[in-house]
Order: sequence, then structure tokens, then C-alpha cells
Amino acid sequence: MSFFSLLGLSVVTLRHHKSRSFLTALGIIIGVMTVITILSLLEGLNRKIKEEFSTLGSSTIYVQKVEWQMGPGHRQLDFEEIRKRKNFTVEDAEAIVGLPSIQVAVPSIGKNVGSLKRLGNKAQNCELRGTAEGGDLTGNWVVEQGRFITREDRLHRRLVCVIGSYIAENLFGAENPVGQTLDVGGHRYLIVGVLEEKGAMFGNTQDNVVIIPISTYLKYNPLPRGWRAIWSGLSIEALPKPGVPLEKAMADVEEQLRLLRGLHYDQDNDFGLNTQQMIMTAMQGITSTLWIVMVGIAAISLLVGGIGIMNTMLVSVAERTREIGIRKAVGARDRDIMIQFLMEAVVLALLGGLIGIIVGIGIARLVSVLVEFLDAASPWWTVVLGFGFSAAVGIFFGIYPAQKASKLNPIDAIRYE
Amino acid sequence: MAKKFRRSKGQGKGSNHEPVIRLQDLSKVYDGGPVAVEALKNINLEIYEGGYVAIMGPSGSGKSTLMHIIGCLDVPTYGSYFLKGQEISRYDSDQLARVRNREVGFVFQQYNLLPRLTAAQNVELPLQYAGVSVNRREEVVEKMLEMVGLAERSHHRPNELSGGESQRVAIARALANDPAILLADEPTGNLDTKTEEEIMGLLDELNEQGRTVIVVTHDDSVALHAKRTINLLDGRIV
Ligand SMILES: Nc1ncnc2c1ncn2[C@@H]1O[C@H](COP(=O)(O)OP(=O)(O)OP(=O)(O)O)[C@@H](O)[C@H]1O
Ligand SMILES: [Mg+2]
Repeated sequence: MSFFSLLGLSVVTLRHHKSRSFLTALGIIIGVMTVITILSLLEGLNRKIKEEFSTLGSSTIYVQKVEWQMGPGHRQLDFEEIRKRKNFTVEDAEAIVGLPSIQVAVPSIGKNVGSLKRLGNKAQNCELRGTAEGGDLTGNWVVEQGRFITREDRLHRRLVCVIGSYIAENLFGAENPVGQTLDVGGHRYLIVGVLEEKGAMFGNTQDNVVIIPISTYLKYNPLPRGWRAIWSGLSIEALPKPGVPLEKAMADVEEQLRLLRGLHYDQDNDFGLNTQQMIMTAMQGITSTLWIVMVGIAAISLLVGGIGIMNTMLVSVAERTREIGIRKAVGARDRDIMIQFLMEAVVLALLGGLIGIIVGIGIARLVSVLVEFLDAASPWWTVVLGFGFSAAVGIFFGIYPAQKASKLNPIDAIRYE
Repeated sequence: MAKKFRRSKGQGKGSNHEPVIRLQDLSKVYDGGPVAVEALKNINLEIYEGGYVAIMGPSGSGKSTLMHIIGCLDVPTYGSYFLKGQEISRYDSDQLARVRNREVGFVFQQYNLLPRLTAAQNVELPLQYAGVSVNRREEVVEKMLEMVGLAERSHHRPNELSGGESQRVAIARALANDPAILLADEPTGNLDTKTEEEIMGLLDELNEQGRTVIVVTHDDSVALHAKRTINLLDGRIV
């Protein structure tokens, strides 16, 4: 029999037992749905994280009061203790620059300055950030026009700034901002550079910055105090020399900071050294846990679905013993019967897979709508995987009943009541 | 109407002395149950091409068992079965399927049509398993149903057909691949006398066209149609 005759035959037979077929396929539906949903969400999460954190420097060490923590097994933080931690200073940054494993280290501090205006144009929600020469390297910035902050700017507390692409576009449009001025917080800054677009991190654009020399920043802006100092206080960004392993540089910075902050050997660090790598690793931990959970759920439901298919097919073979006998009597070979029943099992499983894929993608979309920062992605290979799994389950659990059907003796089958 | 359908193969070979069917010391033992039943004992039988044979005998004498073995629906326990000189008793299941498909057509007392298929689809089955193309299949199905006088019932399902009509569909199906041998196990067992005559008339015509026909029956009036009668008793030819 031709492939299409067999396919048609399977569809007709399955349609004849609609509710039984649906219930049988339910296991596969749930299994595939779970796989597709979780894979889509994981894929979305992974893409999001890669995208978000690519705005950070890949090997920059961020020295802050708290260590970033994500994922399973994080410690409970004692914020009362953290609040009392010493602030970092410009001198700390200078001491770190002196380390042989460090290429550049800069102090960094910023605050929101709201909207900036120029000639009736407006750039909303801007950030003023003070840093030093080399801050473009640690901050992963590329200067598109003009130059970055220099040592001289810092030493002379010049009123100069480098602006992000969002500000350049919104306030200057097609004009070249370099050489023009920008008013921020009651001071007029000379624009010396424009940065290339960087994109957003967790929905916040990074291109709304006005970068000025740290000395200028500290002169006109008070340092945050108390709770606010934990996250908004002065931090230090350090970049290892090329060829120096990140771990080595981190160890050096840690040692230097412990020295600077007068910690005894038995005292814990009162600061955190944060890297993009840590987040990536933590995220990988989360995703691999989810993977294991998913594989578990999927395996169980596909197993259950497969056994369901096997059961239904065995019932079907028994019910249709006479049909099998008649088909054999008119010339069906063992393999024709085998393929007929196997095809039926596979079509059943694939229909389950199809529904599972559609529902799974639907759920993933729904979650994306409900959870703001999650954009589920269902790449083509998840669909292939869904169909592949269903087909494999159909074949694996369909073989035994199909084999059983094909081995029936024609006359015994015809006489079966 | 049956004149339209003439057998193409095996015609005009009058001097062929090899029988189409030759059974040699053939026995069948059913040993599945509590006691072994020897349904056929040492059967020796030759049937020549174009023969028209009635097999008679009391119930349980082994008529159906013999027919199933000749039709390759079952296999003998001992002895040999030669079909057109080939030793069928040595065939594997694929080869037997091929024989059932092309060499012999089987008509059952219970018709054994597939209930969910139309008359035409039932007739089409052997053609599908023979790998005949769709166009050719349609052609043959039409011709077959016409031959048995059911062209206008081709889209009816078995439950919409009378017993006689069902049996004619079954005959059309048995002949779809133009087999040399037609086997019918009590084909008129469920039918009234008038319908029986119609069916037997059809078999007569098929035999006149050169086909070997073997009919199992309890009925002398049916046996009269045949040219030769074989009597079975307790699994032996008497
Ligand atoms: N599958 C089987 N298992 C065991 N014994 C069987 C089987 N089929 C047939 N027999 C036995 O073989 C013997 C011959 O049976 P068979 O069906 O060939 O008889 P029959 O001549 O066709 O009878 P009837 O005229 O009633 O159809 C009987 O004794 C029957 O009980
Ligand atoms: Mg019988």
C-alpha cells in the first residue's frame, strides 16, 4: 500500500474513535507542551540575559559594597551590616590602578538627572555619571565622535562631557553635538564626545548617559548616604591587563582592597567583586536546573503518553483482528499490517505533538505577555524537537502492538469473534 | 454481462499436464486445544486447470480446513502442497501473502467484507496490496463490479447491501487481481435458493472462462454445478 493510502487509512481510523484518540494523545500533548513551553521560556531568558549583560564589559571587575547574587543557593544578606560598610574613594581606585595585573581602574558614580532640554527638544530620564580616563574601556563604551574624558579633564575638573547616543539624537538631531554645550544640573558642559549606541539592560536604555570627569561630579554633587549608598555610592571599575586571567586580577584587587579597608585575616570581605561572568554562571545554573526539571517532566509524560498509545493500539489490534485477517486474506504482507498499525500510532503521536506544540507556544506567548522582561522565543528547532519526540514515542510504543498485529495467522484472525 | 470479462492468462494451454493444485500426503493437526485434532489425514489430490470441483462432506469433516490450506490462509502440518508446480508448503509468509494476493481468490460464507469500506473500496483492497496504480485500480474495480452486476452499488457499504449483493462484492474482490483459482467455502450457505442460483451462475461463467473453481458445499444442488465432486469424511477423501 502506498504511503498516502496508509496515511489516509490512519486518519480515517483515528477520526472514527475521536475521543479515544484524543485521550490517548493527551500524554503526548502534555509532554510536548511542557517541553515547548519551558524551552521557549528558557530560550527567551537566555537571549534576554545575553543581550542584557552584553552591555557590561565582559572582563570588567565591578567593585561594589555588595556581591551580586542570583540563582539557587544564595546567602541571606545582612543589609544593616552592609549599610555600615565604608564608601569607596577615588584614592581606592588609584591604588588599584597601581596593581601590576590591572590595566585600568576608574571610580564611577552616577545619578538620575531627569529630563534634559535644549532648544525645545527633550531627552528624558537621563543619567549623569562621573568617571575617569579609561572609563570607556571599563564601561564597554565606544566613542563615535570626538573623544572620551581625559586625565587633564579630571585633574582640572573641567566642565566637559561625553554624551550617549540617545541624548545626541534627541537633543541635537542631525547636528554634530561635539563642540556644543549641554546644561545639566545648573552647569553648562562642553560636549567633547558622543558614544556609540549600546542598547538597553532590563528595559533601561544605557544610551541616556552624560559622562563627566569624576572630580567635576564630586565637586557639584553630594555623595548619597545611608541605604542609597549601597547601590548608588561610588564604585570602582577595573579592567585586567590583556592576558591576565580574570581570577588572578580579582585576587589582586581583593587583596589590595582588604589592605586598604584594614580587614583582619579572619574578617570577611566588606565589599563585592562583581563580573559579568558571575551572572552568566549563575544564570547557567538556573537554566540547567530548569533543563533537568523539564527533561524529567517531559520524560515522564512522554513515557505515560507512550504507554497510553501502546495500550490503545493493543486494544485497537484486538478489536480489529478480523480486519487484519481479511486484509491478510486478500494479500497484505506482515509488513503491510505492521506499517498500517505503526503509522496509526505515529500519526496519533504526531497529532498529539502538533497540539502540544501549538499549546506550548501559546502558553509561552502568554507568559511573555504577563511577565514583562521575558520574551519567549520558540526557535524552529523546538518545533522539530517536539515532532521528533512524538514520532519517536509513536514508533517506540507502536512497534509492539503493530508487530503483534502483523504476526496474526490469517485464518485465526478471520475467525476471531 | 460476464462475457465482458475474459481471463487473459492461462488460456489455450490445453496440453498442460501439470495440475494447478497437487496435494501430496497432506495432513493438518490442530494441537492448540486440550486434545490434538487431526482435521486432514493423508490427503492426496490433483486439480487441473479449468477444473470445477465441489467438496462435500458432513460438518467437521475438514472441508474448510482443506480450503484454507489450498487458499494459503493456513499451512499444512505434514505433506506437500504444489501450486502450479511450486512447493507452496515451503513458502515464507511474504510469499504466501503474494499467493493469496494474486494466485487464488477466496470467497467466504460470511462474505468478510470490511464494514467501514464501500463496495468499491473492498474490491480495491487486493489491488492496493498488489501495488497497482490508482488509475488502473479504478478501472479494474469498475470492471469487477460490473461483472458481478453491482456497478451502481459501488459506493454502498456492506451494511447497505443484501447477502447476495455482499457475496457478489466478495467475488469481485476475490477476482480483482485475476487469479487462476477461485475458492469458495459455502458461498451460498447464507443465501436463499434464488440468490444461490445467481451466485452459482456467476461461478459457472467464471469457470467457463477458464478459471479453476473449487466450491465447498453441503448442498447437492450446488454440487451439481461442478464437474467433479470430492467427498470428505473424517479428514479423508472417500
Ligand atoms: N482452529 C482450530 N483448532 C482446533 N480444531 C479445529 C480448528 N479448526 C477446525 N478444527 C477442527 O477440525 C475439524 C475440521 O473442521 P472444518 O472447519 O475444516 O470442518 P468443515 O468440514 O468445514 O465443517 P462445516 O461443514 O461445519 O463447516 C473439526 O473437527 C474442527 O473441530
Ligand atoms: Mg466449514
